[in-house]
Amino acid sequence: MEQLINDLKQQIKEVLNLEELSLEDFDADAPLFADEGIGLDSIDVLEIIVLLEKQYGIRLANPKEGKAIFKSVRTIAEYVQANRKK
Amino acid sequence: MAEREWAGTTYGNEWMHKWLIRMLRYIDIRVLYVFAAIFIIPVCLLLNPSRGIAYRYFRHRIGFGRMKSAWMTYVNHCLFSQVVIDKFAMFAGKKFNVEIENNESFLELARQKEGFVQLSAHVGNYEIAGYTLECKEKRLNALVFGGEKASVMLNRNTLFSSRGIRMIAAGTDMSYLFELDKALTDGEIVCMSADRILRSPKHIECDFLGAKANFPLGPFSLATMHGLNVLAMNVMKTAMRSYKIYVTPLPYDKSAPRKEQINQLSKAYVAELEKQVRRYPAQWYNYFEFWNTTPTHAPEK
Repeated sequence: MEQLINDLKQQIKEVLNLEELSLEDFDADAPLFADEGIGLDSIDVLEIIVLLEKQYGIRLANPKEGKAIFKSVRTIAEYVQANRKK
Repeated sequence: MAEREWAGTTYGNEWMHKWLIRMLRYIDIRVLYVFAAIFIIPVCLLLNPSRGIAYRYFRHRIGFGRMKSAWMTYVNHCLFSQVVIDKFAMFAGKKFNVEIENNESFLELARQKEGFVQLSAHVGNYEIAGYTLECKEKRLNALVFGGEKASVMLNRNTLFSSRGIRMIAAGTDMSYLFELDKALTDGEIVCMSADRILRSPKHIECDFLGAKANFPLGPFSLATMHGLNVLAMNVMKTAMRSYKIYVTPLPYDKSAPRKEQINQLSKAYVAELEKQVRRYPAQWYNYFEFWNTTPTHAPEK
């Protein structure tokens, strides 16, 4: 799980162009969308949705799951581990 | 100070909308055009900050003189009232003559397996396109503002669903993002406007009509993250009951780095929008401070 979390941090950092954020400062449990977290917005969510499709073959079909899945990097990793096709 | 953001909803309450649709079933739209031009627009111009915004647009961005800018401000508001009336006239079942320029570009993309993105703007009357462009091969998904009046949304859904068009309301939750992504990965068409910043504050600054203006990053980002083809679709009012749809492919280098793709695509979109706005200057309906810079006086004509 820790390896997957680190891979996701790296991939999210790259796809969202978060150059100023070091992987050490990227807390796996920090909320992704609140001000105290990374502060991502709707465009970033779309980027991560496409990232999950391309890297892990995951298509998020149920919009209602979105809020829970994208809560933090750890929740994304848990979802990826349970649903990955690649 | 004038607003830098659009309020995001059609003016009037639901009762007014229902009343207008009912009335439009029986009376000629010209009656309402004249009524609006004589009784409503002058009052709106007196009370609404859109007066100054439109005047500055004509004066500084289009470069008209003082008198012409003042007159065009009135014409612009009259035309805006007409396209709103036309929208409700469509809801009431009225027909318009619509000419399509370069429809082949639309049909060619519709025949392909991949989905594509259609970008519009708040010029002319985009909703007319929904009644005109036939697409048997793909479902068309229109991203609309989630805070729109219920009566407008209900009428849109009733009329557009029979033509294979689905409305996706951009609300405050994430569900619309999943729906957009699913539509595109399923090879469908997604239509959205690319001239107003909604939901995400991320933007790209472009030169537009001689000054810097912010355009939303989302539409360009969405198209390039999937490497999809993009069309600009502008629907302009050409006469009382006539519209012309301009379909323009927006090229960008899909092998370029992502940032460069977004840059190229946004520039292509803005160039096409500028071309249409210069062709139909009175049909610009963004009534908020659109440009970043304090306008400088353009030479008088």
